[in-house]
Amino acid sequence: MSEFAARNQVAIAGYAQSPVSRRSPMSLGALTIQTTREAIADAGLAVSDIDGFTTTPMFPSFGSHSAEDGVAFVTANWLAQHLGVIPRFMENPQGQLPAPVALAVNAIHAGAADYVVVHRALHNPVGRYHNSTEQEARGREQWGMPQGHFGPIAAIALAYNEYVQRYDVPENALASVVTEARKNGARLPWSYWADKPLSEEAYLAAPVINDPIRMFDCDIPVDAVATFVLTSAERARDLPHKPVYISSYTEMLPKRRLIPSLWPYDGIMEQGQQNVDQLCQRAGVSVEEIDYLQVYDGFAPLVYFWMELTGLCGPGEAHQMVSEGGIDSDRAGSPAVLASGGSLGNGRVHGTAQMLECYLQLSRRAGERQRDVNMAMACQGLPNSGGAVVYSSEKY
Amino acid sequence: MSVTDRPVPVPDASSAGYWEATARHELAIARCSACHGFTHPPDTVCIRCGSIEPRFTFEPVSGRGIVKSWTVVRQALLPGFEQDVPFLLVDVELSEQAGLRITGRLLDGVDTALKLGDKVQVDFEDIADGVACPAFRLATS
Ligand SMILES: [Zn+2]
Repeated sequence: MSEFAARNQVAIAGYAQSPVSRRSPMSLGALTIQTTREAIADAGLAVSDIDGFTTTPMFPSFGSHSAEDGVAFVTANWLAQHLGVIPRFMENPQGQLPAPVALAVNAIHAGAADYVVVHRALHNPVGRYHNSTEQEARGREQWGMPQGHFGPIAAIALAYNEYVQRYDVPENALASVVTEARKNGARLPWSYWADKPLSEEAYLAAPVINDPIRMFDCDIPVDAVATFVLTSAERARDLPHKPVYISSYTEMLPKRRLIPSLWPYDGIMEQGQQNVDQLCQRAGVSVEEIDYLQVYDGFAPLVYFWMELTGLCGPGEAHQMVSEGGIDSDRAGSPAVLASGGSLGNGRVHGTAQMLECYLQLSRRAGERQRDVNMAMACQGLPNSGGAVVYSSEKY
Repeated sequence: MSVTDRPVPVPDASSAGYWEATARHELAIARCSACHGFTHPPDTVCIRCGSIEPRFTFEPVSGRGIVKSWTVVRQALLPGFEQDVPFLLVDVELSEQAGLRITGRLLDGVDTALKLGDKVQVDFEDIADGVACPAFRLATS
C-alpha cells in the first residue's frame, strides 16, 4: 500500500467558533458568513485569498422539516456565493466532518486550491427534531416504521443495551459520561451549556427516552457554526498562528444495508476497528503514539465505544474507567477525552468540538486547558459510519 | 381486524412479496436465487454473493429467533403509536441465518423481563385493512 503523500503537507491556519444557541438571533446563513469572516481574519488572510470551500451540509434531523440552503444547512456553494468569491474548488461531500477535511487536504496538496475554508453549520428547526408526521412508510422506512422502529435514539438504545447486557454495565453508568462532558462544556464561553454543569441528580431526574437512554445522553439541537482555514504547510508557516498539521483521516461506511435505525453493536465495533487501523496506517503511527484523543459523544454510549476502539481500555471496560474518574479533565495526566465538551457539553455541533479542541491544543491556543501534547485525534460520528482525523503539532 | 393510524408501508418492486405474506400473517424473507442466502431488507446487490441479479423470492421462514437487544419506546415519534407507548421493541436474529436481523414490538407487554438470547416467535399486528406488520412474542418452547 502506498504511503499517504499528503501526510502533514496541509495545516490548519485559523478558526472561528460561533456562539452555540438554541435559536440564533440571525439566520444560519448569516451566522456562517460572520463566523467564516472571523476565521479568515484569524488566519491573517482576506476573503479574497480564499479559493476553496468545502463542508458536509448534512442536516441530521429525522423529523418532517423542509430544508433550505442558507436556512437549515449551508453548502460550500452558498457560502462562496454570499462571500462574493468565485472559488477554484468547491465540494459538498456526504458524511461527517472528516469528509470535507479529507477533500480540503487532498485539494491543497494537489494544488487545486491554496486556501480552503472548511465550515460546519448546524441548525435547530422549529418543531420536534426527530418527529415524523408521515402516514406512509416508503423506501427504506417501510422496514421499520410500521412496527414502531424509528429514529436514531432507538438505534443507539438498541446498540447500547446490547453492550450493557453483554458486559453487565450498571444502571445509569452513563451519568458519569454526561456530567464530565457538561463540566467541560460549562467552561467554554461559546457553549450552549456555558456555566451550566449537570449534576448526577439532574441527570437522573430527566426522563428516559428509549431505555436505557435518558434525555441528557442525547445532544441538544442547536444553531452553531465552526469554520477552519486550511492551507499548505509551507504557506501556513508565514501566517500568524502556529500551524497544526493534518496527518491522517478516515471515513467509514457500514458494510451492509440493514433496517434503518438498526446499528448492531458488533458491526459498530468491527468496522470501528478497521476505521482506527486505517487511520493509524495512513498517519504512519500506532494508536499509542497519539497522546490526545477527543472522542465523539453525540450519544453518550459512543464515548465508551470510541474509548475501547482507541485502546484506552479493553472491551466492556470503559464504563468502569469513566465512573472511576479515569477521563476526568481535572486529573493531571488523565486521558481527558471529553475536554472539548463534545456535543453533550456544547450542543449538537456534530464533531466540530473535537476538531476545535485538537486544533487549540496543538496550536498552543487552549488557554487554561493547555496540555503538553503533540499528536491528537478527533473522532466524529459512529465508529462504523463516521470517521476520524489525526493532527500533529510538528511535521514528522 | 384492528385498524390504526400508523404509517402504512408502501410496497414497491423490492418489497411487494414481503407485504403480501405479512398480510396473510406469514413471515417471508427475501432469498437470493444465486446463492440461496437470506437478506433483509433486500438490496440491489445480494450482500452474500454479490449478484446484481439476485432475483429475490420471498420464502416463508420459521419466524423463530433470539433476542439480540431491546429498548422501551416511551415517546410516540410516529403517528398512530400514541396508545401503544410505552412498548418493548426487540431486535431479533432469525434462526434461519446468522446476522439476519428484524425488529418488532414484543407483544407480551412492556414489563416483560428479557435477557440476551431469549427465544421469540413472530406474530403480526394488523395496522390497516389488509396490511400487517411483524411483531414478536416470547416462545413457549
Ligand atoms: Zn446471493
